[in-house]
Amino acid sequence: MSNPKPETQNQKSKMPVTRWDMLLGPRRNIVYVVVCAVALAALLFLPRMSLSGFVLTSLTTALLLAVRAQAWNFIGGYTGYAAFGNVAFYGLGAYGTAILMTKLHWPFLPAMLIGGVVATVYAVIVGLPVLRMRGQYFAIATLGVAEATRELVSSPQLSKLTAGPTGINLPFFRPEGLSGAAAAAVGSRYFYYVAVGLLVFVVLVTWLLTRSKLGYSLVAIREDEDAAKMLGINTTWAKVAAFAMSAFFTGLVGGHYAYWRTFILPEEVFNVRYTLEGILSAVLGGPGTILGPVVGGAIYDAVSTFLTFSKPFGIDLGQFHVTILGLFIVMVIIFLPRGVADFFGRHKFSLGMFLENVRQNRV
Amino acid sequence: MTILLGQSLVNAILLSGMLALVALGFSIVWGVLKIINLAHGAFIMLGAYVTFTLFNLYHVDPFLTIPISMLALFLLGYLIQAYVINWVIRAPLLVTFLLTFGLDIILINLALFVWKGDVRAVGPAYAGTGLTLFRDPLTSQGIQVPYVRLAAFVISLVLAGLLYLFMSYTKLGRAIQATGQDKDAAQLTGVRVAPTYALTFAIGAALAGAAGSLISVMQPFDPNMGGGYRLRAFIIVVLGGLGSIPGVILGSVLFALVDVLVGISPLAPLKDGVAFAMLVLVLIVRPTGIAGKAFY
Repeated sequence: MSNPKPETQNQKSKMPVTRWDMLLGPRRNIVYVVVCAVALAALLFLPRMSLSGFVLTSLTTALLLAVRAQAWNFIGGYTGYAAFGNVAFYGLGAYGTAILMTKLHWPFLPAMLIGGVVATVYAVIVGLPVLRMRGQYFAIATLGVAEATRELVSSPQLSKLTAGPTGINLPFFRPEGLSGAAAAAVGSRYFYYVAVGLLVFVVLVTWLLTRSKLGYSLVAIREDEDAAKMLGINTTWAKVAAFAMSAFFTGLVGGHYAYWRTFILPEEVFNVRYTLEGILSAVLGGPGTILGPVVGGAIYDAVSTFLTFSKPFGIDLGQFHVTILGLFIVMVIIFLPRGVADFFGRHKFSLGMFLENVRQNRV
Repeated sequence: MTILLGQSLVNAILLSGMLALVALGFSIVWGVLKIINLAHGAFIMLGAYVTFTLFNLYHVDPFLTIPISMLALFLLGYLIQAYVINWVIRAPLLVTFLLTFGLDIILINLALFVWKGDVRAVGPAYAGTGLTLFRDPLTSQGIQVPYVRLAAFVISLVLAGLLYLFMSYTKLGRAIQATGQDKDAAQLTGVRVAPTYALTFAIGAALAGAAGSLISVMQPFDPNMGGGYRLRAFIIVVLGGLGSIPGVILGSVLFALVDVLVGISPLAPLKDGVAFAMLVLVLIVRPTGIAGKAFY
């Protein structure tokens, strides 16, 4: 079967792949774009609806989780290298931003950017040896990187720079002339918009990645690394690039966190919880897709917030909420290992899908 | 100076026994089930709390609680493998990783609920006593060998030896090895894979429980103690070579030596970093570890 026209991205996307594709018909790309635009508009107009500071803060946290999940997606979803140590970049971004703002009195946005760059450079240095390993070794090696980075940052040798275990206090966000409650209101909106900006940035980069040669290289590496090498792809540099991109965005989020919370501690910004949440959101929503991690992040944050603050059936969950979250994770892993993407799959949706997942994976 | 080095050597040897116990359970599960049990640290922690509870509530001698904590964790491990992990065992690595991570979270938070987050310790009457070797007649200083640590070392060796005998000379042990080598071939010879997996995981958990009981007497602990041991178990297994009991013991001796020596050097606060660097070095230079790819 010879095809005179080379297969282009457009031609590929004309084939309906999922049930939704078939449902929406040939104009589905436009539908997707419209949906995204509407969602974005909603996000941008939300603060004007005079929501309480608490809701804005929750939303900001959710947005940041989505960015972290999206960042993990570069190395975990598209390249297939499950990195478990991304919190190292988060912490480095936070510390980079904090040090620039406190010692050199830089303004926030440039400091946040350079925090991201610091994380990226670290990723390149650490990535070159660590990315040689595959699968489980890589996963635990990155876990070790995170632990080692935390120790490094809180060590006495570096405490002149990082203030060691006592943490760094950042300057407060002070818009001109305001103070107190008014400043807080402007502040929560400011941080919210920065978070929205970060999300748009990372989603855009992901979308561009899927249309670029690097993107195809990464997917090739994920599918069969040796074959990819034989095709002439420089797998080392592709993997390092993915790792670096992942680090950059995670570092940006870390920088945002630092200025938002105005106080960072090594145990806090290097807490493995941040990695786990990012990975779970990405896996829940569908790794290796453009919007999957965002959706996953939204769901995970919703469940987490619900468990933390609500009282279903009048029972106060109190300290059980983390345990239940753990149970939620376990259930999702067992019944929905491919994440929410399963709902958009080829076949008709039925409860049997869950059982099918289990049957595929059980001993 | 020689006293310091001598003491460090003794400390390292005593520590290595206990680390070997920590790593053995982890190694078996990894070698046979091909999964990295991120909840291993939680099992160790639970063993420590079992001992703590029995010692404080019923005044049972901590060393006598070891069989009890081993049994308790054996049952827990069996149930977890049979009813949770066996359902996802054929899924890709990331899935099982996340699953055991989720289990780890659940166990740690249940422990936080039951025992609260305070730092605990088990302090029997004989806790501080020990031998003093090479005592200098003038200063009365010597190399301290605490009885508790010595007993822990001996018990660890005994358990490791028992494990080796079980694996090599009993039918069940050989079934476990066979399942690890080739699951389908083992099935063809009549081994039932699911219960074998459950048994293996249970043994791993029991060893972790024993290690936890021993650790509870040697140092203070809280529900989050498991993470450090989990990472060390991983490093030791990689160092020693997956699938080899003598390899794990060798690996733990080596690791303990490096750990203790780094501890008395100026690099002391960077202990985890050094351990990690060791791991990366081994993975780059000799990924199969010291004892190579001998299988279980």
